[in-house]
Amino acid sequence: MHASPVELLFWAAGFLGHCVLLLVLWVRHRAGTFPFFTAFIGADVVRSIALFAVAHHGTKHNYLVAYVSLAILDLLLQLCVTYELASHVFRPMGTWAPDVRRGFANLVIAGVLVAACLTCMPTPPSKALWSSILGRANLFSSALLCELFVGMIAFSVKAALPWKTHCARIAQGLGFYSLVGIVTAAGHGVIGMVRTSTLSHELTLIREMTYLTCLSYWIVMLWRHAPRPRDLPEEMRTQLLILHSSLEYDLERLRLWKR
Amino acid sequence: MEEMTGIPVVSFFIALGIFLALLLSIAGFYYFRHRSRQKYPYGKWESILKRLSSVDRGNVALIALDLIDKRGSRSVDTEESDLDPSQIWPLIGGMAGLEAMERNCAVLVDLVFYVQQWYPGALPITEQLRLNAREIQWHVSRLKAAETTGKLDALFPDYAQRAIATYYLMTRCVLDLYDRGNLPGFVDLQRELG
Repeated sequence: MHASPVELLFWAAGFLGHCVLLLVLWVRHRAGTFPFFTAFIGADVVRSIALFAVAHHGTKHNYLVAYVSLAILDLLLQLCVTYELASHVFRPMGTWAPDVRRGFANLVIAGVLVAACLTCMPTPPSKALWSSILGRANLFSSALLCELFVGMIAFSVKAALPWKTHCARIAQGLGFYSLVGIVTAAGHGVIGMVRTSTLSHELTLIREMTYLTCLSYWIVMLWRHAPRPRDLPEEMRTQLLILHSSLEYDLERLRLWKR
Repeated sequence: MEEMTGIPVVSFFIALGIFLALLLSIAGFYYFRHRSRQKYPYGKWESILKRLSSVDRGNVALIALDLIDKRGSRSVDTEESDLDPSQIWPLIGGMAGLEAMERNCAVLVDLVFYVQQWYPGALPITEQLRLNAREIQWHVSRLKAAETTGKLDALFPDYAQRAIATYYLMTRCVLDLYDRGNLPGFVDLQRELG
């Protein structure tokens, strides 16, 4: 397979960006906080190398198989990242709020159904069947991720749960990429990912440029430290301690009374 | 490109447009709600005041002062109450009136909590009002239960007048706080509660 200079440039930029981001995650000790996100970025590094190798040494069929397999892995990891972000927001102390957990499960079911409906909408059959299927699959994943992020925003605002700085930045990047991904994937779903088509090529460039922008955003934001939380005033801290001990005492009395 | 024209493509892009518009609208709605909450973490004073439901203040005072005096002490002549329990029910507006009063309790707590943000000394008043609100909630829930079991007539004199008296004292307490603190909004508050 022959790659154009622009494609090679994007490949090199993506590979370099992923390596830098991995370095940032490691140096700033963020990998422990976001293991799935780190795995997602790590998998992208592997994906870049694997696809480059297959494109140069394999057949068209080999490339298609590698591309589809890695795309499935990519989608699974993106869903894991979404879960990771949701657990950072909705269970800050390690336990899910029961109402949010049920709501989130309903959101996932509704999200899958809506994304599937959108993906299955009839369009004229494309000449390139496989590329059309890939476009539809991308549309499904982008639509699902967008729905999940919007749902998470809604739940967090309703439950007044804050997004910690780095968690919010990862979600913003992934959410924006998914939003642009819906448009480009919809175009690819209709016309197919045909290398000879100018429109298809432009859609691919838009998607890749958006991804590189998000990658740069993540590098900068994850390198920077989160703002230090404001200290609790001494008076309030004392009040909380008194309240805490009073609650403990009441709770103990209630337990004794129950026995 | 000729295969791209036709009804399926148009309907596909219309559906996609609606989907994107919906997603962005929901995200925008919650984003602005979040910003508004950041700007006014304790709510806007006007919007808190707007939440007050209409309760006949004259009748509330009449019923309450039949049981207590203006300082909250039990009236000396309680035994010779002017009001018959059967009169209290229409005066307060039945169960709907009691429910409106119950909702207003939360607003009264919010009104004092609003002041507490700038005057931390108001904390005991907020806590006292919370307890009063809880007491009224308890009285009203007992009355609701009695209504479903058909024992309302027997329980009404015990719970309703006490709940109304507590509510009356809560309104006096809030007005007194705003008056003594010379706080802006006292005139509006007096118009609503006075």
